Amino acid sequence: MEESPLHAFELHNYIPLSIGGMDISINKAVILMWIVVALAAVLMIMAGSARRLVPGKLQNLAEMLVDFIRGIILDTMGKDGMRFFPLIASLFIFILFCNLLGLIPGSYTVTSQIVVTAVFACLVYGLSLVMGFILHGAKFLGILVPPGTPGWLLPLMIPIELISQLARPISLAVRLFANMTAGHVILGVLFGLAISGGVLIGWLPFAFTIAMNGLEVGIAFIQAYIFTVLTCVYLGDAFHLHGHDDHAH
Amino acid sequence: MPQFESSFFSSLIFWEVISFGILFFVLYKFAFPGILGILEEREKKIKDSLDQAERHRADAERALKEYEAKLSAAAKEAEGLLAAAKERAQRLLDENEQRLTAEAERIKGDATREIDHERRKAVQEIRNQTTELALLVAEKVVQRSLTDADHRKFADEALEALSKAHS
Repeated sequence: MEESPLHAFELHNYIPLSIGGMDISINKAVILMWIVVALAAVLMIMAGSARRLVPGKLQNLAEMLVDFIRGIILDTMGKDGMRFFPLIASLFIFILFCNLLGLIPGSYTVTSQIVVTAVFACLVYGLSLVMGFILHGAKFLGILVPPGTPGWLLPLMIPIELISQLARPISLAVRLFANMTAGHVILGVLFGLAISGGVLIGWLPFAFTIAMNGLEVGIAFIQAYIFTVLTCVYLGDAFHLHGHDDHAH
Repeated sequence: MPQFESSFFSSLIFWEVISFGILFFVLYKFAFPGILGILEEREKKIKDSLDQAERHRADAERALKEYEAKLSAAAKEAEGLLAAAKERAQRLLDENEQRLTAEAERIKGDATREIDHERRKAVQEIRNQTTELALLVAEKVVQRSLTDADHRKFADEALEALSKAHS
């Protein structure tokens, strides 16, 4: 019996639910989200309540994580960016846990759903737009004009910049979704080969499956990292328009 | 692809927003303040410890310098004391020697004087006895013929001869 490698991404409603005509049925992805939230919250609260000057293992891990995210924020946005720390860190932790838990055989990768990544991307990009307009008002439209652009190039530059701006949330969403999906498709294909190959030849794709799983753990971290860094960059752009507040017109 | 089945979108979006909202709230309220707080506290503690270590090092250095200065002063003092003691001992030695020499000299002088005195006394005694003896003998020999003047004359002559023989 051959299974489609995309079979793993199929969802089935376990408990049908709806609010005001909106379907909010419980499926595997939803349950995984709950597990992610519960696990992340419990681990982080435990780590945060330890408050030992010489940290234990869990506290050390959580502090590394927090310090890592703080480093990203300080590098890309500077000290002002720390007000976004809770949001960015929560985002990183949520995505990272989704990515990692998805690698456990039999579970589900929430971030391989394009809607899920799209919601995060829209949240981040929407926040950067709102922040930009709050901080700079109409001047924020200057983000469409790179500094030093001569006037006669404006008709060309503005559409290009508009596209590049619109590409931001799309690329943010698609990158995470595609990476997670592709990784699991490869794992699925390799494991399918291992099953159909039998004992004689099947060990080879099986070994690859194990190696790929290790690689996927790395990718889970890297994609969560990339999503976080880009979030910081976009928010930082809204913060420091062209690096400073005045811009060429 | 199963991910594009739009029938699941609404429930996924709904639960994602709810889940992430809860996680954000919980972490914001209960986890991050603790972790960020302890990170800051540790940074401060490390900085304080380093400062303190620097202070202690400076203290130790100063103490070492003081100690070395004291040590060299003590060595100098000890040297001085030793020299003084040596000098004193030498002086005592010299004094003793002089005193002993003088004492010996004195004893020797006393002894010499005593011996001389005794010798003189003995000579005087011998001289007296000899005179008496000579008088006795002379009396016996020239009992009748001699007068008092003769006696005196003979005695003087004899004494003269005796002292000549003696000196």
